[in-house]
Amino acid sequence: MKENNIKIGKIILWIVLVMVAVIQLFPLIWLVDFSLGSSNEMFTNGLLIIPEKIRWDNYVKAFVDGNFLHYLKNSVLINTTAVILVVIISIMAAFACQRMKWKLSGFVSTLLVMGMMIPIHATLLPNYKIYSGLHLTDTIWALLIPYVAFSLPQGMFLMTGFIQSLPKELEEAAVMDGCGIYRIVFQIVTPLLKPSIATVAIMTFLNNWNEFMMASTYLSTPTWKTLPFSVLEFTGEYSSNYAVQFAVMALTAAPAVIVYVILNKHITKGVAMGAVKG
Amino acid sequence: MKKKWIASLLTAAMTASLLTGCGGSETPSTATDTQDTAQTAETDNGGAEEESGASDEGAAAEESAGGDVTIKLFSNLPDRKNGQGLVEQMIIDEYMAANPNVSIEVEALDEEAYKTKFKAYAMDGMPDVVSIWGQPSFLDEVLDAGVLAELNEDDYVDYGFIPGSLDGFKKDEKLYGLPRNTDIMLFYYNQKMFDDNGWKVPATTDELLSLCEDIQAAGITPVAMDGGDGWPMACFLTDIMVKVAGINYADIVSNAVATGDFTAPEIKQATQILVSFADAGMFQVGYDSQDYGTTMNLFTNGQAAMYCMGSWDASMALNEDIAPEIRDNIRAFTMPTVDGGKGGANDIAAWNGGGYAVSANSAVKDEAVKFLNYMYQPDKLSKYGWENGVGMSAQDQTAYLTGNETELQKQIMDILKNATSVSGTPINDCGPSAFKTAIESEIQGVSNGSTSVDDFLAAIGAACK
Amino acid sequence: MKKLYSNKPIIFSLVLPGLLVFLFAVLAPICLSVYYGFTDYTGMGEAHLVGFKNYATLIHDSAFGRSLRNSLLLAIGFICIQHPLAILVAAVLDKLQGKAEGVFRCIYFIPNVISVAVIAYLWKFIYNPDFGLLNNIAKAFGHPGKINWLSQQNAIWSVLIVLIWHGFGWGMLIYYTGIKNIDPVLYEAASIDGANWWTTFFKITLPLMKPVIQINVTMAIISALKQMETVYLLTNGGPNNSTQFAANYLYQQAFKAFKYGYGNAIGVVFIIICVLATVALNTIFRDKQEQREK
Repeated sequence: MKENNIKIGKIILWIVLVMVAVIQLFPLIWLVDFSLGSSNEMFTNGLLIIPEKIRWDNYVKAFVDGNFLHYLKNSVLINTTAVILVVIISIMAAFACQRMKWKLSGFVSTLLVMGMMIPIHATLLPNYKIYSGLHLTDTIWALLIPYVAFSLPQGMFLMTGFIQSLPKELEEAAVMDGCGIYRIVFQIVTPLLKPSIATVAIMTFLNNWNEFMMASTYLSTPTWKTLPFSVLEFTGEYSSNYAVQFAVMALTAAPAVIVYVILNKHITKGVAMGAVKG
Repeated sequence: MKKKWIASLLTAAMTASLLTGCGGSETPSTATDTQDTAQTAETDNGGAEEESGASDEGAAAEESAGGDVTIKLFSNLPDRKNGQGLVEQMIIDEYMAANPNVSIEVEALDEEAYKTKFKAYAMDGMPDVVSIWGQPSFLDEVLDAGVLAELNEDDYVDYGFIPGSLDGFKKDEKLYGLPRNTDIMLFYYNQKMFDDNGWKVPATTDELLSLCEDIQAAGITPVAMDGGDGWPMACFLTDIMVKVAGINYADIVSNAVATGDFTAPEIKQATQILVSFADAGMFQVGYDSQDYGTTMNLFTNGQAAMYCMGSWDASMALNEDIAPEIRDNIRAFTMPTVDGGKGGANDIAAWNGGGYAVSANSAVKDEAVKFLNYMYQPDKLSKYGWENGVGMSAQDQTAYLTGNETELQKQIMDILKNATSVSGTPINDCGPSAFKTAIESEIQGVSNGSTSVDDFLAAIGAACK
Repeated sequence: MKKLYSNKPIIFSLVLPGLLVFLFAVLAPICLSVYYGFTDYTGMGEAHLVGFKNYATLIHDSAFGRSLRNSLLLAIGFICIQHPLAILVAAVLDKLQGKAEGVFRCIYFIPNVISVAVIAYLWKFIYNPDFGLLNNIAKAFGHPGKINWLSQQNAIWSVLIVLIWHGFGWGMLIYYTGIKNIDPVLYEAASIDGANWWTTFFKITLPLMKPVIQINVTMAIISALKQMETVYLLTNGGPNNSTQFAANYLYQQAFKAFKYGYGNAIGVVFIIICVLATVALNTIFRDKQEQREK
């Protein structure tokens, strides 16, 4: 009797999990499925289609006309730079505020973390004014500065917590050996922070990778446009061809999904660590 | 025939960009100019690639040797392979081929996104050549800020502009832009579908309503309406109002905008007719949230019998992405007359809206004006536009009639030829941009029944004050 | 050591980059917003100081009120629909051992790594009344279809569904981690006492998860306030402002209606609301926590 109950329980459990998985995944399967057909095949009553002919050329169009490689390169470059800057700046500032002795340490620390409360989109208007005044619009700085600025509070917050939990003995020993502060920060402390750096890096990357409001406000030429623009520009260009629009969406989503699936364990760990703390 | 001609024209630019394109994206550290050119050109090679496979390496060398002058063109035509966008791109490519030292960078966005970005640009640093609209809602504030360069009207005496078409682009007798099209509000319809079902083109709004009932009974959407954007519906309202108020339309609207009082019986009646149309299920389900592309596709895929839009979409008849049995059967008619209305069948909603201008602070102003003038040479925008089925230009096109026009083009030509009066600026563009924003949002509410007609009129009135 | 650790120039050099970024990208724009909020600047030409006129207009602006109400609705939706579901699934997932656990966790999180641009356009298609996925599903169940998911009445709920779907994996993951951190000894003790799954869930899992739930709820409310991207692409606030949100509204006012000054005034109020909400939520939850600890 009891065994039966457990069995039924197991089955229900599986049904629930599979159903949620289907809900989460099906729209994406639908997307890929229709991206391989022709536009006319969209007007069907079925949930999925078996394309008459698999049209890979939809993807070729998406790849070439969507400026895919160029935008992908920009995205990777800008995001990586932003991650590196956020990590370095937050380690430095967190160390100074957490470990070093000065009057304003608490104030500066709070100030830097307070940025978390500011809604990023409220700065779109004034920042546009500032950047265009300084001729920064349509340059990489127009994205790097806000990306770093709005990931820094979180990075700072996490790093402060992590540095706090480090034992002081190592640093004391280093001071005895005559190390300067910079060497302590970058050669003693930083290596100990590896898992935390991974967390900050992942959080920063996830925050900024998909951002497009600022990009579309501050950029105009394709020089520094990022991956979401493949989709944004394409839908205008190919407004009458749904299948190709689907292809460009699938293509744009692909890099992040692939990287995520490969590194999924590390990423989920990083997010969990960061979010529970934050 | 036509296709081949376009293809050969594009070939040079295409092959050139293929070569520079690769070089440009692999070496990001080189001058941004080169790279941008490559990017710009890359956008247009897809289409050309399909149409012709030929290659010509000579053009490549010529292209990469240039780069002395860069003109930035900001355009509201993101589709560079069909209709107006194709025409614009053709002229750009031609101009760059003829002037190797000039490269033209295009940034193209959808109309809504374009207008937003344009205003952002207006704060500091506009691109050199821009798309504009010769209408108060757009131009008044822009001209007040002095961001557009004055043009010399005498330059255009021989350009064949239709009398009055430049008026919207002037302020204090000074000219700041040139019109691209003569836009007419139309019902496009699928003639084959009409014939197969025995449907007739309606002459009155009552006939239109009963026609829509028949179409609905057949399980088809009567009219595809881009209600998500707001402005097409405002143009539609203008069209109704022209039938209600006749030639008084412009006076009634400008008076209402000036006083903020929109309770004139003509405006009210027209709005009520619009609401009754929507109530009767004339538009597709979800029209108030669907965008331009989705709406047009509904019609071009045979899901809707009619499609309400301006004459610029007449290029549908030549769009290769649309199935031939639909594309070849697209015809058009104008808003049917309203019972007791002052407007006759030939009083139409038409205006000279879109066009181009040059930025006042452009660093390459002379070059930009040169390019602008090149575009408006009668055998460029006007001729190419005609050949690509893009409705009517704002210039005299009679010299370019070939006899090979699509049926749709001939119809539109006749509509304009037979017009006894034209409305001028549509209602949403008659006031300041705060008014435009308000009416384009409120009209969604009044048509879907969540706002009453009186509240609607009060709300748009309040936005004028 | 002490001397080294209180060396002012070194401290200064360490915090300088962070401070500069903060001053330039956060503080400066806020100050500029405050200034422009007091002007009638259109975006071009000259700005004139008009005092509190913009703020007076804002109080009576029904669209702005609507956007705040929408944020509230969204927050309630997150808290009442997304989070219970996420906790439940996390608890169920915790029961599963072996490879399947990792696979499910991975699948649930996938929508989260996809760009909002793709998500918004994808759902635009899913909601399409003519060929959208949802209507085809409705048809499969015998409904005539043609449901207008983005109508004035439905649109806000449809937006909510997209956001719940998109953010589900994130919430789930955090609850899942929280559950994993619960001492297994407690569960063993419960099972010895003969407690079934539901009792353990309500008596042990939920109470111990309180801090995690509080963090998640705070995040949900804040993100509901800050919502912009999905709405911007999916409905752009329409039809007739029914899905308007503060961030989207200020953008529209500044760049579409030529009311840059007014847009900035909205921005200032928006920032104040966000800061107040964060502080309030933290205070409420901290007080409770302290009380319990006592």
